[in-house]
Amino acid sequence: MGGTPLAPGPRTEVSYVNSTSTPAANPAAAGGPSAQRDSRLTALLIVIALLAGAVLQIWVPPGRWTAIVGAGLASWVVVALAVFVPGRLRQTVAGFRFTSTLLIGLAVFAILGTLILQGKPEALYRARYGAVAPVIIGLRLDDIFHGLPFAGLMALFGAAVMMSASLRWPLRGRNLGFFVAHVGLLTSLGGAAASSGLGIRGRIDLHAGGDVARELVVTKGGIATGEIAPLGFDLKLDKFDLVLYESEYRVGYYEKARVRDEDGNVVEQWRLKTSFDPDTTKHRLPGGDSFRLEAVYPDFQLVPQVSPVAQGGSPALQAVVDGKARWLMDGESVQTGDGRLAVAFGWGSPAAPEGVLTAVLVSGAARQVTIHTSDGDATQPLREGAPLLGGAVKIASLLPSAQRSSSYGTASAEWRNPAASLETMEGGYPRRELVLASRPRAVMLARGGALVFEKRDQEAKAFLSHVTATRGDDVVNATVAVNDPLSFHGWTLYQVNYNPKDPTYSGIEAVYDPGVPFVFLGFALICLGVFHMFYIAPRFAAGVKRDQPAGPAAAA
Amino acid sequence: MLQYVLAEHPAFAATTGLYGAAVALYAAAWISTKRLVGRVATAAMAAAVAINLFLVLYRAYEAGREPFKSLFESLVFLALCFGLLYLVMEGLYKTRIFGVLAAIFTSGLMVYALAKWDAEIVKMPPALRSPWFMPHVLVYFVGYAAVAFATVVALVQLLAARSPAVHRLVTNARAGTVLTGKALDLDQIAYDSIRFGFVLLTLGLLIGSVWAKSAWGDFWVWDPKENWSLVTWLVYAAYLHLRKVKGWRGERAAWLAIVGFAVVMFTYLGMGILPTAEESAHVYSGS
Repeated sequence: MGGTPLAPGPRTEVSYVNSTSTPAANPAAAGGPSAQRDSRLTALLIVIALLAGAVLQIWVPPGRWTAIVGAGLASWVVVALAVFVPGRLRQTVAGFRFTSTLLIGLAVFAILGTLILQGKPEALYRARYGAVAPVIIGLRLDDIFHGLPFAGLMALFGAAVMMSASLRWPLRGRNLGFFVAHVGLLTSLGGAAASSGLGIRGRIDLHAGGDVARELVVTKGGIATGEIAPLGFDLKLDKFDLVLYESEYRVGYYEKARVRDEDGNVVEQWRLKTSFDPDTTKHRLPGGDSFRLEAVYPDFQLVPQVSPVAQGGSPALQAVVDGKARWLMDGESVQTGDGRLAVAFGWGSPAAPEGVLTAVLVSGAARQVTIHTSDGDATQPLREGAPLLGGAVKIASLLPSAQRSSSYGTASAEWRNPAASLETMEGGYPRRELVLASRPRAVMLARGGALVFEKRDQEAKAFLSHVTATRGDDVVNATVAVNDPLSFHGWTLYQVNYNPKDPTYSGIEAVYDPGVPFVFLGFALICLGVFHMFYIAPRFAAGVKRDQPAGPAAAA
Repeated sequence: MLQYVLAEHPAFAATTGLYGAAVALYAAAWISTKRLVGRVATAAMAAAVAINLFLVLYRAYEAGREPFKSLFESLVFLALCFGLLYLVMEGLYKTRIFGVLAAIFTSGLMVYALAKWDAEIVKMPPALRSPWFMPHVLVYFVGYAAVAFATVVALVQLLAARSPAVHRLVTNARAGTVLTGKALDLDQIAYDSIRFGFVLLTLGLLIGSVWAKSAWGDFWVWDPKENWSLVTWLVYAAYLHLRKVKGWRGERAAWLAIVGFAVVMFTYLGMGILPTAEESAHVYSGS
């Protein structure tokens, strides 16, 4: 837009409220005789359009053709009347007062369309709107934008646009924008009518490597009409890709919120308010409490631990077999994976496990080691840290009185089974809990709210249908995605559906829309026209004023 | 909540605080004869806008996408658009008379964002992953900011007609009021803003329509949000047409500008209460 369009107009010495513009200051302004006639005619035309539409609707049900033909015909009738009937009709229809009133009328219809559900079965209206339902159904407010009263207003609007644009002919620099914007409106409305009346829309269900589609199931409002329409070309799905966002782990903070359920009842529901990275930073929570993850275990596992105790323990031996350290309590043994070698520990004299070719038998009380093989036994004193059998076994340490426990640890740095030790601080009191992402549960907070360590599932990022469209020698290989349709021989193909249980399936919507070029052209004209009208035309007007000679004659 | 925001989101707290401080400073500039007071007010507003910009950019960096997917994000973004537009208008029209209401509006947006606090960064669904998303929202929000500014002007216009104190503010040259020494043409300023906003609302509506066509195959599906965007456009179109009708400037136009902005706010925030909200593809999940 640049700075110029925003710039205020030439500053003049005027009061804070334009004194010549208020009805009180200028009684003639708001209510001259011609203005009153305009107002009456405006009201009359609008009432006639609405009433005629409402009455005719008794015989002509709402529908796209009803709206198009009704609005189109009525529009030309009004234009013809305005041109040929003497009097103020032409000025009124082309006037700003008439258009303003129509714009407000159209706004009222648009609002009604958001207050009343559109295109639903009658039973739903009776259930939902009660005593008002017969009025809604009787006046066909259930399909308000395809009914004749709305078509009547659109007809008047179309006539007003045509008449006001025609008044700007022949074109000059200062009224070019107005003309172009209004021609743009008509072009867009015409294009939209062509889209609605002549367009075809339907579904094509494709499977990767499956049959070639040559036709579509015609739909209206998303529901199949039972008609089949030919595509005019072959369409084949080569491959369907569901692209996902990467999954991630977060500490989510949830709060209860009152929401309406499907039946309109107010219910309480937990809602995610914010979330935090799974790091060890201390975080404050909206309720005033705080939390931190004391430790994070990406690949959580319980690590067995043996620690010495003064009383009540039992002897324990730490042996390293095949490079892995293990704690053995009194009477326990450990074997290698192939079962050829074992270490057995006992306070007295442990026995060799059955079926093992070589066993290292450690006696805690005697502090001696017996190497048991098929050739016989060889005994030697226990020396902690000394390798046995060429390094295959090492006795790391012997504790006369120990207790077995376990601690939290991680088997690797990979995020395979994440867990965390979560410490909350509520009212100055700490509380610790182990939380696992694989089994998410809420850590409830006393002041309301809950923390959950959770995995964010992979969400859909894109649905990609790799298709081949063929018509004669014209072959196109393309990818159809949401927001990236494929146009081929007059049809446009949209990605609209997929099946999470069938990765080969893709739902494509085919649309034939002959109105598109007109709608786009209209949009461009509206943009250019509006910009010109507000930011270029005033310069022409200023230029005209400058060129006028000063003096009493000019002022007159 | 405040402790949480201060600790976890200091830039958010700073922005809101500075917008709040700007309210007080602009109010002080109304009565002060010292130029410095007005300049400090503008500086506070500019600093708030600068940190607001940082918030929006940082959010975009954190989320790896456009920073206006959720209601919370869009409120912060709207505050930025309005704050920035206000500063431009303050420079263009050389007046700080609207500063108090402008700063109240921006701080109000931030406080409302705080009250909703749907700060979670959500992933962009395939339907929103479109090159049209950014221009559609950007154009609309600057347009919203422009019509919001017009509403601020209209409010001052209505107050000036009723309160001698406000009347004096818009006609007297003070540091915090009129810097040119000339009375303000409030009606013209409101019109200029609405004109600018209307161009953007038109562009936003058409971009949305083109986007809908590329995503769903339809320009217009009579979705509640679409309808209310159309209502917004129709109301401002009526405003611009009515200015050509005698008797529709001054107070009447000011009231219509306020009604237009009420419709804008309903379009932006009120869709959830409509009985047809469940049919809409546009209603904010966090609203």
